Amino acid sequence: MIVELKNVSKEYGRNGTRFVAVRDVDFRVSSGDFVSIVGPSGSGKSSLLHLVGCLDRPTAGSVLVDGQPTDKLSDTELSRVRRDRLGFVFQQFYLNDAMTALQNVLLPLELARVKGRVEMARAALADVGLCGKESNYPSQLSGGEQQRCAIARALVNSPEILLADEPTGSLDSASGKSVLELMECLHTTRGLALVIVTHDPAVAARAHQHIAIHDGRVQ
Amino acid sequence: MNWILRANLKRRKARLALTIGGIAIGVATLFALLSFSAGIATALERELDSLGAHIIVLPVGCPYSLTLSLMQGADTIEYIDEASLAEFRAVDNVHIAAPAVVGRAKVNGTLTPVYGTDIQTALLKNWELDSFEGAVVGSKAAADLKLSAGDTINVSLYAPVTIPVVKVLPVTGGRDDTFVFLPLAIAQKVLALEGKVSAVLVRTSDVSRVSETRSTLGHMLGVQAVPPSEVFDTLVGILATVRQTMILIAGIAIAVGVFTTMNTMIMSVQERRRDIGLLRAVGATRREVFRLFLYESVVVSAVGGLVGLAVGYVATLLLPRASGLGLEALPQYSPAFIGICLVVAVAVGAIAALYPAMMAARVEPIRALREL
Repeated sequence: MIVELKNVSKEYGRNGTRFVAVRDVDFRVSSGDFVSIVGPSGSGKSSLLHLVGCLDRPTAGSVLVDGQPTDKLSDTELSRVRRDRLGFVFQQFYLNDAMTALQNVLLPLELARVKGRVEMARAALADVGLCGKESNYPSQLSGGEQQRCAIARALVNSPEILLADEPTGSLDSASGKSVLELMECLHTTRGLALVIVTHDPAVAARAHQHIAIHDGRVQ
Repeated sequence: MNWILRANLKRRKARLALTIGGIAIGVATLFALLSFSAGIATALERELDSLGAHIIVLPVGCPYSLTLSLMQGADTIEYIDEASLAEFRAVDNVHIAAPAVVGRAKVNGTLTPVYGTDIQTALLKNWELDSFEGAVVGSKAAADLKLSAGDTINVSLYAPVTIPVVKVLPVTGGRDDTFVFLPLAIAQKVLALEGKVSAVLVRTSDVSRVSETRSTLGHMLGVQAVPPSEVFDTLVGILATVRQTMILIAGIAIAVGVFTTMNTMIMSVQERRRDIGLLRAVGATRREVFRLFLYESVVVSAVGGLVGLAVGYVATLLLPRASGLGLEALPQYSPAFIGICLVVAVAVGAIAALYPAMMAARVEPIRALREL
Protein backbone atom coordinates (compact mmCIF):
# COMPACT_ATOMS: atom_id res chain seq x y z
CA MET A 1 0.00 0.00 0.00
CA ILE A 2 1.23 3.49 -0.83
CA VAL A 3 -0.21 6.70 0.55
CA GLU A 4 1.08 9.78 -1.18
CA LEU A 5 0.51 13.45 -0.46
CA LYS A 6 1.06 15.81 -3.41
CA ASN A 7 1.42 19.50 -2.67
CA VAL A 8 -1.13 19.14 0.14
CA SER A 9 -2.36 22.04 2.24
CA LYS A 10 -4.95 22.08 5.02
CA GLU A 11 -6.65 25.19 6.34
CA TYR A 12 -9.01 25.49 9.29
CA GLY A 13 -11.39 28.32 10.02
CA ARG A 14 -11.13 29.76 13.53
CA ASN A 15 -13.38 32.61 14.66
CA GLY A 16 -13.59 34.03 11.15
CA THR A 17 -9.85 33.78 10.58
CA ARG A 18 -8.07 31.13 8.53
CA PHE A 19 -5.41 28.96 10.05
CA VAL A 20 -3.08 26.99 7.79
CA ALA A 21 -2.13 23.75 9.54
CA VAL A 22 -0.29 22.08 6.63
CA ARG A 23 1.32 23.95 3.69
CA ASP A 24 2.32 22.46 0.36
CA VAL A 25 3.51 19.13 1.73
CA ASP A 26 4.77 16.30 -0.46
CA PHE A 27 5.06 13.04 1.40
CA ARG A 28 4.91 9.33 0.70
CA VAL A 29 4.59 6.28 2.90
CA SER A 30 4.76 2.70 1.61
CA SER A 31 4.41 -0.76 3.14
CA GLY A 32 7.33 -1.51 5.44
CA ASP A 33 8.32 2.14 6.09
CA PHE A 34 8.94 3.48 9.58
CA VAL A 35 8.49 7.24 9.57
CA SER A 36 8.58 9.71 12.43
CA ILE A 37 6.97 13.14 12.20
CA VAL A 38 8.48 15.60 14.66
CA GLY A 39 7.95 19.25 15.38
CA PRO A 40 6.87 21.65 18.11
CA SER A 41 3.29 21.88 19.39
CA GLY A 42 0.93 23.37 16.82
CA SER A 43 3.35 22.78 13.98
CA GLY A 44 0.84 20.62 12.06
CA LYS A 45 2.16 17.10 12.90
CA SER A 46 -1.22 15.66 13.84
CA SER A 47 -2.96 17.40 10.94
CA LEU A 48 -0.47 15.80 8.57
CA LEU A 49 -1.06 12.38 10.16
CA HIS A 50 -4.83 12.79 9.81
CA LEU A 51 -4.39 13.58 6.11
CA VAL A 52 -2.22 10.50 5.62
CA GLY A 53 -4.82 8.46 7.50
CA CYS A 54 -7.74 9.70 5.37
CA LEU A 55 -9.39 11.06 8.52
CA ASP A 56 -9.46 14.51 6.96
CA ARG A 57 -9.51 15.89 3.42
CA PRO A 58 -7.00 18.47 2.17
CA THR A 59 -8.11 21.96 1.17
CA ALA A 60 -5.50 21.96 -1.63
CA GLY A 61 -3.38 19.31 -3.33
CA SER A 62 -4.27 15.65 -3.35
CA VAL A 63 -3.89 12.52 -1.27
CA LEU A 64 -3.53 9.31 -3.25
CA VAL A 65 -4.04 5.79 -1.96
CA ASP A 66 -2.33 3.30 -4.26
CA GLY A 67 -2.34 5.99 -6.93
CA GLN A 68 -6.03 6.77 -6.63
CA PRO A 69 -6.92 10.34 -5.57
CA THR A 70 -9.01 10.25 -2.39
CA ASP A 71 -10.99 13.35 -3.39
CA LYS A 72 -12.72 11.05 -5.89
CA LEU A 73 -13.71 8.67 -3.09
CA SER A 74 -17.02 8.99 -1.26
CA ASP A 75 -17.17 9.27 2.51
CA THR A 76 -18.17 5.60 2.67
CA GLU A 77 -15.23 4.55 0.48
CA LEU A 78 -12.82 6.53 2.65
CA SER A 79 -14.33 4.84 5.72
CA ARG A 80 -13.66 1.47 4.10
CA VAL A 81 -10.02 2.45 3.46
CA ARG A 82 -9.63 3.37 7.14
CA ARG A 83 -11.40 0.24 8.28
CA ASP A 84 -9.59 -2.28 6.08
CA ARG A 85 -6.15 -0.81 5.43
CA LEU A 86 -5.19 1.63 8.18
CA GLY A 87 -4.86 1.47 11.93
CA PHE A 88 -4.86 4.37 14.36
CA VAL A 89 -3.35 4.79 17.82
CA PHE A 90 -3.92 7.99 19.76
CA GLN A 91 -2.24 9.60 22.74
CA GLN A 92 -5.48 9.45 24.77
CA PHE A 93 -6.20 5.78 23.81
CA TYR A 94 -9.90 6.54 23.19
CA LEU A 95 -11.13 3.28 24.65
CA ASN A 96 -14.85 3.00 25.33
CA ASP A 97 -15.23 2.93 29.14
CA ALA A 98 -18.44 0.88 28.96
CA MET A 99 -16.78 -1.90 26.96
CA THR A 100 -14.33 -4.55 28.07
CA ALA A 101 -10.88 -4.77 26.51
CA LEU A 102 -12.14 -7.55 24.24
CA GLN A 103 -15.17 -5.52 23.16
CA ASN A 104 -13.02 -2.48 22.40
CA VAL A 105 -10.85 -4.61 20.14
CA LEU A 106 -13.93 -6.23 18.60
CA LEU A 107 -15.34 -2.88 17.51
CA PRO A 108 -13.67 -2.59 14.06
CA LEU A 109 -14.40 -6.26 13.34
CA GLU A 110 -18.02 -5.77 14.27
CA LEU A 111 -18.25 -2.91 11.78
CA ALA A 112 -16.65 -5.09 9.10
CA ARG A 113 -18.88 -8.06 10.13
CA VAL A 114 -15.88 -10.36 9.97
CA LYS A 115 -16.45 -14.05 10.72
CA GLY A 116 -14.66 -15.50 13.76
CA ARG A 117 -14.17 -12.00 15.15
CA VAL A 118 -14.08 -12.96 18.83
CA GLU A 119 -11.16 -15.32 18.20
CA MET A 120 -9.41 -12.64 16.15
CA ALA A 121 -9.89 -10.06 18.91
CA ARG A 122 -8.54 -12.49 21.53
CA ALA A 123 -5.52 -13.19 19.34
CA ALA A 124 -4.88 -9.45 18.89
CA LEU A 125 -4.99 -8.93 22.65
CA ALA A 126 -2.62 -11.88 23.12
CA ASP A 127 -0.24 -10.34 20.53
CA VAL A 128 0.04 -7.17 22.59
CA GLY A 129 0.51 -9.07 25.85
CA LEU A 130 -2.98 -8.66 27.25
CA CYS A 131 -3.90 -12.33 27.43
CA GLY A 132 -6.17 -12.84 30.46
CA LYS A 133 -7.27 -9.19 30.52
CA GLU A 134 -10.08 -9.62 27.97
CA SER A 135 -12.84 -9.00 30.50
CA ASN A 136 -11.19 -5.99 32.13
CA TYR A 137 -12.70 -2.59 31.58
CA PRO A 138 -10.34 0.28 30.66
CA SER A 139 -10.54 1.57 34.23
CA GLN A 140 -9.14 -1.78 35.38
CA LEU A 141 -6.08 -1.49 33.09
CA SER A 142 -2.90 0.54 33.59
CA GLY A 143 -2.05 3.34 31.13
CA GLY A 144 0.40 1.09 29.29
CA GLU A 145 -2.16 -1.71 29.12
CA GLN A 146 -4.79 0.67 27.82
CA GLN A 147 -2.46 1.79 25.04
CA ARG A 148 -1.67 -1.86 24.25
CA CYS A 149 -5.40 -2.49 24.03
CA ALA A 150 -5.71 0.48 21.65
CA ILE A 151 -2.86 -0.99 19.56
CA ALA A 152 -4.66 -4.35 19.49
CA ARG A 153 -7.78 -2.53 18.25
CA ALA A 154 -5.71 -0.83 15.56
CA LEU A 155 -4.13 -4.12 14.46
CA VAL A 156 -7.07 -6.46 14.61
CA ASN A 157 -8.11 -5.72 11.02
CA SER A 158 -4.57 -6.44 9.80
CA PRO A 159 -3.90 -2.93 8.46
CA GLU A 160 -0.99 -2.15 6.18
CA ILE A 161 -0.09 1.15 7.81
CA LEU A 162 -0.28 1.97 11.53
CA LEU A 163 -0.59 5.68 12.28
CA ALA A 164 0.25 6.68 15.84
CA ASP A 165 -0.27 10.15 17.25
CA GLU A 166 1.99 10.61 20.31
CA PRO A 167 1.44 6.96 21.37
CA THR A 168 3.71 7.29 24.40
CA GLY A 169 2.66 10.83 25.32
CA SER A 170 0.37 9.78 28.18
CA LEU A 171 2.59 7.01 29.54
CA ASP A 172 5.40 6.83 32.05
CA SER A 173 8.82 6.15 30.55
CA ALA A 174 8.80 2.39 31.25
CA SER A 175 5.33 1.90 29.77
CA GLY A 176 6.22 4.19 26.85
CA LYS A 177 9.33 2.19 26.09
CA SER A 178 7.42 -1.07 26.26
CA VAL A 179 4.69 0.24 23.90
CA LEU A 180 7.29 1.51 21.47
CA GLU A 181 9.11 -1.81 21.48
CA LEU A 182 5.83 -3.55 20.78
CA MET A 183 5.17 -1.30 17.79
CA GLU A 184 8.70 -1.81 16.48
CA CYS A 185 8.29 -5.55 16.87
CA LEU A 186 5.06 -5.46 14.87
CA HIS A 187 6.80 -3.41 12.20
CA THR A 188 9.64 -5.90 11.98
CA THR A 189 7.67 -9.12 12.18
CA ARG A 190 4.65 -8.14 10.09
CA GLY A 191 6.15 -5.64 7.69
CA LEU A 192 3.66 -3.12 9.03
CA ALA A 193 4.38 0.47 7.97
CA LEU A 194 4.61 2.80 10.98
CA VAL A 195 4.03 6.54 10.96
CA ILE A 196 4.57 8.02 14.42
CA VAL A 197 3.97 11.60 15.46
CA THR A 198 6.14 12.43 18.46
CA HIS A 199 7.79 15.14 20.50
CA ASP A 200 10.26 12.69 21.89
CA PRO A 201 13.63 12.65 20.09
CA ALA A 202 14.29 9.17 21.48
CA VAL A 203 11.15 7.85 19.84
CA ALA A 204 11.94 9.67 16.58
CA ALA A 205 15.44 8.23 16.59
CA ARG A 206 14.07 4.70 16.19
CA ALA A 207 12.42 5.55 12.85
CA HIS A 208 14.15 5.01 9.51
CA GLN A 209 12.75 8.14 7.94
CA HIS A 210 12.26 11.48 9.68
CA ILE A 211 10.03 14.39 8.79
CA ALA A 212 10.40 17.65 10.66
CA ILE A 213 7.50 20.02 10.38
CA HIS A 214 7.36 23.66 11.41
CA ASP A 215 4.43 26.04 10.87
CA GLY A 216 2.85 23.47 8.60
CA ARG A 217 5.87 23.20 6.31
CA VAL A 218 8.08 20.15 6.03
CA GLN A 219 11.67 21.29 6.68
CA MET B 1 -24.37 -4.74 17.10
CA ASN B 2 -26.33 -6.02 20.11
CA TRP B 3 -23.44 -5.93 22.53
CA ILE B 4 -22.45 -2.42 21.35
CA LEU B 5 -26.03 -1.37 22.08
CA ARG B 6 -26.02 -3.03 25.51
CA ALA B 7 -22.68 -1.47 26.42
CA ASN B 8 -23.93 1.99 25.47
CA LEU B 9 -27.28 1.59 27.23
CA LYS B 10 -25.84 0.44 30.52
CA ARG B 11 -23.77 3.62 30.80
CA ARG B 12 -26.74 5.75 31.85
CA LYS B 13 -29.15 3.43 33.61
CA ALA B 14 -31.23 6.11 35.36
CA ARG B 15 -31.72 8.07 32.15
CA LEU B 16 -32.57 4.89 30.29
CA ALA B 17 -35.21 4.03 32.91
CA LEU B 18 -36.74 7.51 32.66
CA THR B 19 -36.89 7.33 28.88
CA ILE B 20 -38.53 3.92 29.01
CA GLY B 21 -40.94 5.32 31.61
CA GLY B 22 -41.85 8.26 29.37
CA ILE B 23 -42.73 5.99 26.48
CA ALA B 24 -44.47 3.50 28.76
CA ILE B 25 -46.86 6.18 30.07
CA GLY B 26 -48.00 7.08 26.55
CA VAL B 27 -48.38 3.45 25.50
CA ALA B 28 -50.17 2.51 28.75
CA THR B 29 -52.63 5.37 28.22
CA LEU B 30 -53.28 4.27 24.66
CA PHE B 31 -53.70 0.60 25.60
CA ALA B 32 -56.08 1.38 28.49
CA LEU B 33 -58.08 3.70 26.25
CA LEU B 34 -58.44 1.16 23.46
CA SER B 35 -59.34 -1.63 25.90
CA PHE B 36 -61.95 0.44 27.72
CA SER B 37 -63.46 1.83 24.53
CA ALA B 38 -63.98 -1.67 23.20
CA GLY B 39 -65.33 -2.77 26.58
CA ILE B 40 -67.82 0.10 26.75
CA ALA B 41 -69.13 -0.62 23.24
CA THR B 42 -69.60 -4.27 24.16
CA ALA B 43 -71.32 -3.36 27.44
CA LEU B 44 -73.68 -1.04 25.58
CA GLU B 45 -74.57 -3.72 23.08
CA ARG B 46 -75.08 -6.25 25.87
CA GLU B 47 -77.37 -3.92 27.83
CA LEU B 48 -79.48 -3.14 24.79
CA ASP B 49 -79.71 -6.85 23.97
CA SER B 50 -80.75 -7.60 27.55
CA LEU B 51 -83.76 -5.33 27.12
CA GLY B 52 -85.07 -8.06 24.82
CA ALA B 53 -87.06 -5.54 22.78
CA HIS B 54 -87.36 -4.84 19.08
CA ILE B 55 -88.69 -1.33 19.71
CA ILE B 56 -88.45 0.99 22.72
CA VAL B 57 -91.36 3.37 23.17
CA LEU B 58 -90.23 6.47 25.05
CA PRO B 59 -91.72 9.80 26.03
CA VAL B 60 -90.89 12.74 23.80
CA GLY B 61 -87.32 13.95 24.50
CA CYS B 62 -83.82 12.79 23.75
CA PRO B 63 -84.26 9.07 23.01
CA TYR B 64 -80.63 8.25 23.79
CA SER B 65 -80.46 9.80 27.23
CA LEU B 66 -83.87 8.29 28.05
CA THR B 67 -82.66 4.84 26.97
CA LEU B 68 -79.49 5.26 29.00
CA SER B 69 -81.54 6.27 32.06
CA LEU B 70 -83.68 3.18 31.55
CA MET B 71 -80.59 0.95 31.41
CA GLN B 72 -78.95 2.65 34.38
CA GLY B 73 -82.09 2.73 36.51
CA ALA B 74 -81.87 6.52 36.80
CA ASP B 75 -84.82 8.90 37.25
CA THR B 76 -86.15 10.69 34.20
CA ILE B 77 -88.29 13.80 34.01
CA GLU B 78 -90.54 12.74 31.15
CA TYR B 79 -93.04 9.89 31.39
CA ILE B 80 -95.64 8.09 29.30
CA ASP B 81 -99.23 7.89 30.50
CA GLU B 82 -99.86 4.30 31.67
CA ALA B 83 -103.23 4.42 29.96
CA SER B 84 -101.46 4.41 26.59
CA LEU B 85 -100.21 0.90 27.31
CA ALA B 86 -103.47 -0.65 26.15
CA GLU B 87 -103.25 1.32 22.89
CA PHE B 88 -99.72 0.06 22.25
CA ARG B 89 -100.80 -3.52 22.88
CA ALA B 90 -103.63 -3.09 20.42
CA VAL B 91 -101.23 -2.12 17.59
CA ASP B 92 -100.89 -4.74 14.85
CA ASN B 93 -97.77 -6.94 15.16
CA VAL B 94 -97.11 -5.96 18.82
CA HIS B 95 -96.57 -9.26 20.61
CA ILE B 96 -95.29 -7.99 23.96
CA ALA B 97 -95.47 -4.45 25.36
CA ALA B 98 -93.76 -4.41 28.74
CA PRO B 99 -93.96 -1.21 30.80
CA ALA B 100 -90.99 0.03 32.80
CA VAL B 101 -90.81 2.65 35.51
CA VAL B 102 -87.37 3.10 36.99
CA GLY B 103 -85.86 5.03 39.87
CA ARG B 104 -83.96 4.56 43.10
CA ALA B 105 -85.59 3.55 46.35
CA LYS B 106 -84.47 2.22 49.73
CA VAL B 107 -84.64 -1.55 49.85
CA ASN B 108 -84.18 -2.70 53.45
CA GLY B 109 -82.64 0.72 54.07
CA THR B 110 -80.16 0.60 51.15
CA LEU B 111 -80.60 2.86 48.12
CA THR B 112 -81.08 0.47 45.20
CA PRO B 113 -82.27 0.82 41.58
CA VAL B 114 -85.84 -0.41 41.30
CA TYR B 115 -87.66 -1.35 38.12
CA GLY B 116 -91.45 -1.50 38.10
CA THR B 117 -93.04 -3.68 35.44
CA ASP B 118 -95.52 -6.50 34.89
CA ILE B 119 -95.58 -10.12 33.76
CA GLN B 120 -94.85 -9.03 30.16
CA THR B 121 -91.23 -8.26 31.17
CA ALA B 122 -90.96 -11.80 32.53
CA LEU B 123 -91.97 -13.03 29.06
CA LEU B 124 -89.57 -10.58 27.38
CA LYS B 125 -86.62 -11.68 29.52
CA ASN B 126 -87.57 -15.38 29.79
CA TRP B 127 -87.81 -15.39 33.61
CA GLU B 128 -90.13 -18.39 33.78
CA LEU B 129 -92.64 -16.76 36.12
CA ASP B 130 -96.35 -17.60 36.11
CA SER B 131 -97.34 -14.41 37.88
CA PHE B 132 -95.62 -11.22 39.02
CA GLU B 133 -96.96 -10.81 42.56
CA GLY B 134 -93.72 -10.11 44.45
CA ALA B 135 -90.21 -8.77 44.00
CA VAL B 136 -87.80 -10.30 41.49
CA VAL B 137 -84.24 -9.53 42.55
CA GLY B 138 -81.15 -9.32 40.33
CA SER B 139 -78.24 -11.55 41.36
CA LYS B 140 -75.92 -8.73 42.49
CA ALA B 141 -78.69 -6.91 44.37
CA ALA B 142 -79.59 -10.19 46.10
CA ALA B 143 -75.98 -10.73 47.10
CA ASP B 144 -75.54 -7.13 48.32
CA LEU B 145 -78.79 -7.13 50.25
CA LYS B 146 -78.40 -10.79 51.35
CA LEU B 147 -81.77 -11.79 49.91
CA SER B 148 -83.15 -15.08 48.72
CA ALA B 149 -86.55 -16.26 47.50
CA GLY B 150 -89.10 -16.28 50.30
CA ASP B 151 -87.58 -13.31 52.17
CA THR B 152 -89.59 -10.17 52.71
CA ILE B 153 -88.23 -6.74 51.82
CA ASN B 154 -89.18 -3.23 52.85
CA VAL B 155 -89.14 -0.80 49.94
CA SER B 156 -89.56 2.88 50.63
CA LEU B 157 -89.09 6.32 49.14
CA TYR B 158 -92.32 8.32 48.99
CA ALA B 159 -94.34 5.44 50.40
CA PRO B 160 -93.30 2.32 52.35
CA VAL B 161 -94.15 -1.13 51.00
CA THR B 162 -93.46 -4.61 52.32
CA ILE B 163 -93.29 -7.32 49.68
CA PRO B 164 -91.99 -10.90 49.43
CA VAL B 165 -89.14 -11.91 47.19
CA VAL B 166 -90.49 -14.44 44.69
CA LYS B 167 -87.38 -15.03 42.64
CA VAL B 168 -83.66 -14.29 42.54
CA LEU B 169 -82.47 -14.05 38.93
CA PRO B 170 -79.39 -15.87 37.69
CA VAL B 171 -76.31 -13.79 36.83
CA THR B 172 -76.68 -12.00 33.48
CA GLY B 173 -73.50 -9.89 33.59
CA GLY B 174 -75.57 -6.76 32.86
CA ARG B 175 -77.48 -4.09 34.73
CA ASP B 176 -80.40 -6.47 35.36
CA ASP B 177 -78.19 -7.98 38.08
CA THR B 178 -78.41 -4.72 40.05
CA PHE B 179 -82.18 -4.16 39.87
CA VAL B 180 -84.97 -5.04 42.26
CA PHE B 181 -87.95 -5.64 39.92
CA LEU B 182 -91.30 -4.76 41.47
CA PRO B 183 -94.89 -5.06 40.25
CA LEU B 184 -95.67 -1.86 38.33
CA ALA B 185 -98.29 -0.46 40.72
CA ILE B 186 -96.04 -0.97 43.75
CA ALA B 187 -93.04 0.70 42.07
CA GLN B 188 -95.25 3.60 40.98
CA LYS B 189 -96.51 4.00 44.55
CA VAL B 190 -93.01 3.90 46.06
CA LEU B 191 -91.64 6.36 43.48
CA ALA B 192 -94.80 8.55 43.57
CA LEU B 193 -95.28 7.99 39.85
CA GLU B 194 -98.84 6.65 39.85
CA GLY B 195 -100.21 6.30 36.32
CA LYS B 196 -96.80 6.92 34.70
CA VAL B 197 -94.23 4.70 33.03
CA SER B 198 -90.66 5.56 31.92
CA ALA B 199 -90.74 3.42 28.77
CA VAL B 200 -92.47 0.52 27.12
CA LEU B 201 -90.40 -2.29 25.64
CA VAL B 202 -92.04 -3.82 22.60
CA ARG B 203 -91.41 -7.16 20.95
CA THR B 204 -93.06 -7.80 17.63
CA SER B 205 -94.62 -11.01 16.33
CA ASP B 206 -93.10 -10.58 12.87
CA VAL B 207 -89.58 -9.16 12.99
CA SER B 208 -89.63 -8.34 9.26
CA ARG B 209 -92.34 -5.75 9.95
CA VAL B 210 -90.51 -3.93 12.77
CA SER B 211 -90.14 -0.67 10.82
CA GLU B 212 -93.85 -0.59 10.01
CA THR B 213 -94.76 -1.22 13.67
CA ARG B 214 -92.24 1.37 14.77
CA SER B 215 -93.82 3.89 12.46
CA THR B 216 -97.30 3.21 13.83
CA LEU B 217 -96.14 3.49 17.45
CA GLY B 218 -94.05 6.57 16.70
CA HIS B 219 -97.07 8.42 15.35
CA MET B 220 -98.99 8.02 18.58
CA LEU B 221 -99.44 11.14 20.71
CA GLY B 222 -96.66 12.10 23.15
CA VAL B 223 -94.34 9.18 22.45
CA GLN B 224 -91.52 8.16 20.15
CA ALA B 225 -90.47 4.68 19.05
CA VAL B 226 -86.83 3.78 18.48
CA PRO B 227 -85.18 0.44 17.72
CA PRO B 228 -82.30 -0.49 20.06
CA SER B 229 -79.97 -0.81 17.06
CA GLU B 230 -80.47 2.90 16.31
CA VAL B 231 -79.79 3.79 19.93
CA PHE B 232 -76.69 1.61 19.80
CA ASP B 233 -75.39 3.23 16.61
CA THR B 234 -75.94 6.74 17.95
CA LEU B 235 -74.39 6.04 21.34
CA VAL B 236 -71.43 4.31 19.69
CA GLY B 237 -71.09 7.42 17.53
CA ILE B 238 -71.04 9.57 20.67
CA LEU B 239 -68.48 7.18 22.16
CA ALA B 240 -66.37 7.51 19.03
CA THR B 241 -66.29 11.28 19.50
CA VAL B 242 -65.29 10.83 23.13
CA ARG B 243 -62.71 8.27 22.05
CA GLN B 244 -61.23 10.68 19.51
CA THR B 245 -60.75 13.21 22.29
CA MET B 246 -59.16 10.54 24.47
CA ILE B 247 -56.91 9.45 21.61
CA LEU B 248 -55.83 13.06 21.28
CA ILE B 249 -54.89 13.02 24.97
CA ALA B 250 -53.01 9.74 24.47
CA GLY B 251 -51.40 11.36 21.42
CA ILE B 252 -50.15 14.20 23.60
CA ALA B 253 -48.70 11.66 26.05
CA ILE B 254 -47.02 9.90 23.13
CA ALA B 255 -45.72 13.20 21.72
CA VAL B 256 -44.18 13.87 25.13
CA GLY B 257 -42.56 10.44 24.80
CA VAL B 258 -41.13 11.45 21.41
CA PHE B 259 -39.62 14.64 22.80
CA THR B 260 -38.29 12.86 25.91
CA THR B 261 -36.63 10.22 23.77
CA MET B 262 -35.29 12.82 21.33
CA ASN B 263 -33.87 14.84 24.21
CA THR B 264 -32.20 11.75 25.66
CA MET B 265 -30.77 10.79 22.29
CA ILE B 266 -29.44 14.30 21.61
CA MET B 267 -27.75 14.32 25.03
CA SER B 268 -26.40 10.87 24.31
CA VAL B 269 -24.94 12.00 20.97
CA GLN B 270 -23.32 15.04 22.59
CA GLU B 271 -21.83 12.97 25.39
CA ARG B 272 -20.57 10.30 23.02
CA ARG B 273 -18.97 12.54 20.40
CA ARG B 274 -15.55 11.11 21.26
CA ASP B 275 -16.84 7.54 20.85
CA ILE B 276 -18.49 8.48 17.57
CA GLY B 277 -15.25 10.08 16.40
CA LEU B 278 -13.38 6.92 17.28
CA LEU B 279 -15.97 4.76 15.53
CA ARG B 280 -15.56 6.88 12.40
CA ALA B 281 -11.77 6.69 12.71
CA VAL B 282 -11.81 2.88 12.83
CA GLY B 283 -13.98 2.76 9.72
CA ALA B 284 -17.65 3.26 10.60
CA THR B 285 -19.52 4.98 7.78
CA ARG B 286 -21.98 7.79 8.43
CA ARG B 287 -24.79 5.37 7.63
CA GLU B 288 -23.51 2.85 10.20
CA VAL B 289 -23.35 5.54 12.89
CA PHE B 290 -26.86 6.69 11.93
CA ARG B 291 -28.14 3.12 12.10
CA LEU B 292 -26.52 2.53 15.49
CA PHE B 293 -28.36 5.46 17.10
CA LEU B 294 -31.62 4.67 15.31
CA TYR B 295 -31.42 1.05 16.45
CA GLU B 296 -30.66 2.14 20.01
CA SER B 297 -33.68 4.44 20.12
CA VAL B 298 -36.02 1.87 18.57
CA VAL B 299 -34.91 -0.82 21.04
CA VAL B 300 -35.41 1.53 24.00
CA SER B 301 -38.85 2.52 22.67
CA ALA B 302 -39.85 -1.09 22.06
CA VAL B 303 -38.91 -1.92 25.67
CA GLY B 304 -40.92 1.15 26.73
CA GLY B 305 -43.81 -0.19 24.65
CA LEU B 306 -43.69 -3.58 26.37
CA VAL B 307 -43.51 -1.96 29.82
CA GLY B 308 -46.39 0.34 28.77
CA LEU B 309 -48.50 -2.64 27.73
CA ALA B 310 -47.91 -4.30 31.11
CA VAL B 311 -48.69 -1.07 32.99
CA GLY B 312 -51.74 -0.43 30.80
CA TYR B 313 -53.03 -3.94 31.42
CA VAL B 314 -52.63 -3.62 35.19
CA ALA B 315 -54.25 -0.15 35.05
CA THR B 316 -57.32 -1.54 33.27
CA LEU B 317 -57.65 -4.15 36.02
CA LEU B 318 -57.36 -1.57 38.79
CA LEU B 319 -59.39 1.32 37.35
CA PRO B 320 -63.03 1.64 38.47
CA ARG B 321 -65.37 -0.52 36.42
CA ALA B 322 -68.23 1.98 36.10
CA SER B 323 -67.22 4.12 33.18
CA GLY B 324 -68.42 5.24 29.77
CA LEU B 325 -72.07 6.31 29.64
CA GLY B 326 -72.54 5.11 33.23
CA LEU B 327 -72.43 1.49 32.15
CA GLU B 328 -70.41 -1.11 33.95
CA ALA B 329 -67.79 -1.91 31.36
CA LEU B 330 -65.04 -4.48 31.57
CA PRO B 331 -61.96 -3.72 29.46
CA GLN B 332 -61.71 -5.82 26.36
CA TYR B 333 -58.32 -6.93 25.07
CA SER B 334 -57.33 -7.68 21.53
CA PRO B 335 -54.07 -8.70 19.83
CA ALA B 336 -54.72 -5.75 17.50
CA PHE B 337 -54.43 -3.34 20.47
CA ILE B 338 -51.10 -4.90 21.45
CA GLY B 339 -49.95 -4.57 17.83
CA ILE B 340 -51.07 -0.93 17.61
CA CYS B 341 -49.31 -0.04 20.87
CA LEU B 342 -46.05 -1.72 19.87
CA VAL B 343 -46.11 -0.12 16.42
CA VAL B 344 -46.70 3.27 18.06
CA ALA B 345 -43.81 2.67 20.50
CA VAL B 346 -41.40 1.67 17.73
CA ALA B 347 -42.54 4.64 15.62
CA VAL B 348 -41.89 6.92 18.61
CA GLY B 349 -38.35 5.56 18.84
CA ALA B 350 -37.71 5.89 15.12
CA ILE B 351 -39.12 9.42 14.81
CA ALA B 352 -37.35 10.60 17.97
CA ALA B 353 -34.02 9.20 16.74
CA LEU B 354 -34.01 10.74 13.27
CA TYR B 355 -32.54 14.11 14.20
CA PRO B 356 -30.07 12.84 16.86
CA ALA B 357 -28.94 10.03 14.55
CA MET B 358 -28.33 12.57 11.77
CA MET B 359 -26.35 14.67 14.26
CA ALA B 360 -24.27 11.63 15.13
CA ALA B 361 -23.71 10.73 11.47
CA ARG B 362 -22.48 14.27 10.76
CA VAL B 363 -19.81 14.15 13.49
CA GLU B 364 -16.39 14.82 11.96
CA PRO B 365 -13.99 12.26 13.47
CA ILE B 366 -11.03 14.62 13.86
CA ARG B 367 -13.02 17.44 15.37
CA ALA B 368 -14.71 15.03 17.82
CA LEU B 369 -11.42 13.43 18.86
CA ARG B 370 -9.76 16.83 19.32
CA GLU B 371 -12.53 18.08 21.61
CA LEU B 372 -11.00 16.31 24.61
